[in-house]
Amino acid sequence: MAERAAQEDFFVQDDEDTQKGKYLIFSLGKEQYGLEIKYVMEIIGIQPITEVPELPPYIRGIINLRGKIVPVMDVRLRFKKEFKEYSDRTCVIVIQVEEVAMGLIVDAVEEVLSIPDSEIVSLPEIKQNTNRYIKGVGKVGDVVKLLLDCTKLLTEDELEDLSEL
Amino acid sequence: MADHGQTEQMLEMYIYETTQNIEQLEAVILAAENADRYDEDSINEIFRIMHTIKGSSAMMLFDSLAALAHKMEDLFYFLRERQPAFIDYSLLSDLVLEGIDFMKVELQKIKNGDPADGEAGQLLQSIENYVTVLKEQTTAAAETAATAAGQLKTPMPAAADSSIYKAVLHFAADCGMENIRAYTLVLQLQEQVAELQYLPEDLDSADSAELIREKGFTLFLRSDKSYAELEEILAQTLFLERLELSQLPAAETAAAGAKDGDVPETMQQLKERTAQETNLAAGSQAVISVSVSKLDQLMDLVGEMVIAESMVTQNPDLKGLQLDNFEKAARQLHKITGELQDLVMSIRMVPLATTFHKMHRLVRDMSRQLNKEVKLQLLGEQTEVDKNIIEHIADPLMHLIRNAMDHGLERKEEREALGKPAVGTITLEAKNAGSDVLILVKDDGRGLNKAKILERAQAQGLLTKPAAEMTEQEIYELVFLPGFSTKKDVTEFSGRGVGMDVVANNLQLVGGSVAVDSVAGEGCTFTLKIPLTLAIIDSMNVKVGNSCFTIPIASIKECLRAQQHTLLHDTNGDEMLMVRGVCYPIIRLHQYFALDTPITDLSEGILIMVEHDKQGCLLFVDELLGQQEVVVKALPAYIRNRHQSKGLSGCTLLGDGSISLILDVGGLLN
Amino acid sequence: MTRVLVVDDAAFMRMAIKNMLESNGMEIVGEAENGAVAVKKYVELKPDLVTMDITMPEMNGLDALKAIMQLDPQAKVIMVSAMGQEAMVKEAIMSGAKSFIIKPFKADHVLKTINSIL
Repeated sequence: MAERAAQEDFFVQDDEDTQKGKYLIFSLGKEQYGLEIKYVMEIIGIQPITEVPELPPYIRGIINLRGKIVPVMDVRLRFKKEFKEYSDRTCVIVIQVEEVAMGLIVDAVEEVLSIPDSEIVSLPEIKQNTNRYIKGVGKVGDVVKLLLDCTKLLTEDELEDLSEL
Repeated sequence: MADHGQTEQMLEMYIYETTQNIEQLEAVILAAENADRYDEDSINEIFRIMHTIKGSSAMMLFDSLAALAHKMEDLFYFLRERQPAFIDYSLLSDLVLEGIDFMKVELQKIKNGDPADGEAGQLLQSIENYVTVLKEQTTAAAETAATAAGQLKTPMPAAADSSIYKAVLHFAADCGMENIRAYTLVLQLQEQVAELQYLPEDLDSADSAELIREKGFTLFLRSDKSYAELEEILAQTLFLERLELSQLPAAETAAAGAKDGDVPETMQQLKERTAQETNLAAGSQAVISVSVSKLDQLMDLVGEMVIAESMVTQNPDLKGLQLDNFEKAARQLHKITGELQDLVMSIRMVPLATTFHKMHRLVRDMSRQLNKEVKLQLLGEQTEVDKNIIEHIADPLMHLIRNAMDHGLERKEEREALGKPAVGTITLEAKNAGSDVLILVKDDGRGLNKAKILERAQAQGLLTKPAAEMTEQEIYELVFLPGFSTKKDVTEFSGRGVGMDVVANNLQLVGGSVAVDSVAGEGCTFTLKIPLTLAIIDSMNVKVGNSCFTIPIASIKECLRAQQHTLLHDTNGDEMLMVRGVCYPIIRLHQYFALDTPITDLSEGILIMVEHDKQGCLLFVDELLGQQEVVVKALPAYIRNRHQSKGLSGCTLLGDGSISLILDVGGLLN
Repeated sequence: MTRVLVVDDAAFMRMAIKNMLESNGMEIVGEAENGAVAVKKYVELKPDLVTMDITMPEMNGLDALKAIMQLDPQAKVIMVSAMGQEAMVKEAIMSGAKSFIIKPFKADHVLKTINSIL
């Protein structure tokens, strides 16, 4: 048991080194967002979703990920954007933050990019709705990517619900 | 150990093992107390467990736990070695049980991630005192303690061709057991030097360790080795901090005889012995412990497999094909998966014995506290229940027993006056009843007081109909209502502001229920009904719009179509239906869950009559999809935390891989 | 790589020792929860080193040590003792144990002790 744990530790360390500064870039319309790659478990196409009643509209329901039941969140709705019908390009990015797994429904997955910390700046105080989940803006050439804070994305909705009242 | 993951893992193991040790300890002590003597085996076992707890706790730096275990170990060491003739067993049990309680509290703190900051000073002192008392009693037995003077007996003469050296060794400050380290060195050197004398001479006593720590270990050696050679040998001593080696002027000497080694056993003897030990080992390996999370995983996987099996054998591609061999193989597969499923379920089943035995302690403590003599009788303790469920019933059981002891059973004088046996009896009985397990908590006390219950319920405004119209049963069941408690004064054991409603709630959590029956003057019986397992339920799948829901068969009474029945509306406009003269409210699932469906006319869909806690209602659904056994899965934590509705208890995977939501009938009815 | 057999009735202790040794490049080839199992595993695995707890059920560490030393006089056994077990440690050393460590132990003590006899 200890042996396995030691190996896992080893791998995690290894991963953290190679994963550092890497972001999975996805798009919602014209805007591009980045997620730290260490949170990303896998990327799948859109799956049949089972609705669960009485949840916020951005939680579309639950999916069966090889026997594991995972809730899915429509990131467009989460960011108060217009709903877009799902298509072949629609992707579900499954992330795991600590114990909580979540599928993020996005328009499309673009690429994995290395963005060094030196190229990341904090966000100016403009976009009231979304910047709570954004921990910085990464510059890649002339383009900027909004880098998401996965932890806040999964935990801060209570706060939001209150502010909506 | 600096590694965080490892520490976590070790902590987990520490908690697990120490908890087990403590449980074992408690069982040994209670057994010994019942027998009114601590036999050699119990003393050995207690000693060993304390020794283990001491070692593990010290490693994890839980000093107060280690110190307490150490003291206990000392106590039992004394008992083991000296076997004092007179032991006050009751006092001994009290001491140890108090110690166990302290450990439990500390362990709970550790589990919660709080610092284990308890102070056992008082208890340590009590144990110390007790050991002193025991020692005084046994000093009569002659004690032959040979204490060495620490003086070198004879000046050492040296041979002409060898030199005499003096070496003083100082060990590292925290290496421990300096005397034994010195002894190890002596043993090593004896083979290499001609003669050897050392100070302190007696390396057996603990004082010698102290002496070596203070003054170092002094060696006088006669050897033909050179200074450099000797220095090299001595410098290899483990945990050596400082070495002073000097050559003394030569003198005369006599040779010292070396002892021969023991004669080894013959090969035959060795072989036999090893064989015997191997058998022993095989026996002790028969049981292993597995973490529940692994079993949960296994359970999940088997569930997956059952689903995968039906996806293969009932694959639409096979429709209309004549596949005799395939059918045969499929039946075989089905049989095996079925057996596997049963087996996995059975692995998760654990006997109630451990939970039941815990009650001995409670009864013991309470009967002392309340000064009531009570016998606890256990029946059917081998009855098995799913591990997950067991965790939820210990508290309710404890609460019921506390209640019985505190309120149910009369005092001795009162009992004698009534012509009852002076010693009260509480019976804890478990038995199987279909897919349920019944646990009965029975006492032969005064029974529930109807008048008092009614009075109390009235005062609390809990009565829903006139007292005169209530049956006995209905009156008794008032005690399960939230906010009900007949006892005004609070004792240490019962009535800590917690009522019977908590018992009822705890059981509902695991899909169980509780009922009560009582006969005035003869006692009262609480019957706990709990399901054998939570993991697999027999269920009916139904369709509402595009969604699929799963209803446990256990709560379904019947399914019917609303045609010949009378539809009523109450003042709120809620729909009710008369079925055989009884009026049932209708819950339209499509409305309840705000789902779109073309079927809204009651006569087009199906009504399912469900019942929970003797409350019934009709669920309106589009159609029935069929009955099947499903593996219950929890909703993801993210959803559970945010879900307001009480109507869902979990979800399950259907044969086609889609998800169905499991209805919580109790929740819907509330 | 040094192949080690860890003997202790407490799984926690085995884990503690295992973690310590493994993170210092040793291989734990086996674990035993009492003396009898230890002797059997010793024969089976022929480890380079044994860490042997003293207080154990079934067969204690001293008896196991003696059995192992008879089977293999070259065996390298380190006793794992607690304070207060001096007499037993002494007996163990007389019976052929190469050294001993004292619970609660620190990694550097353990490693130093082990390295001294390898």
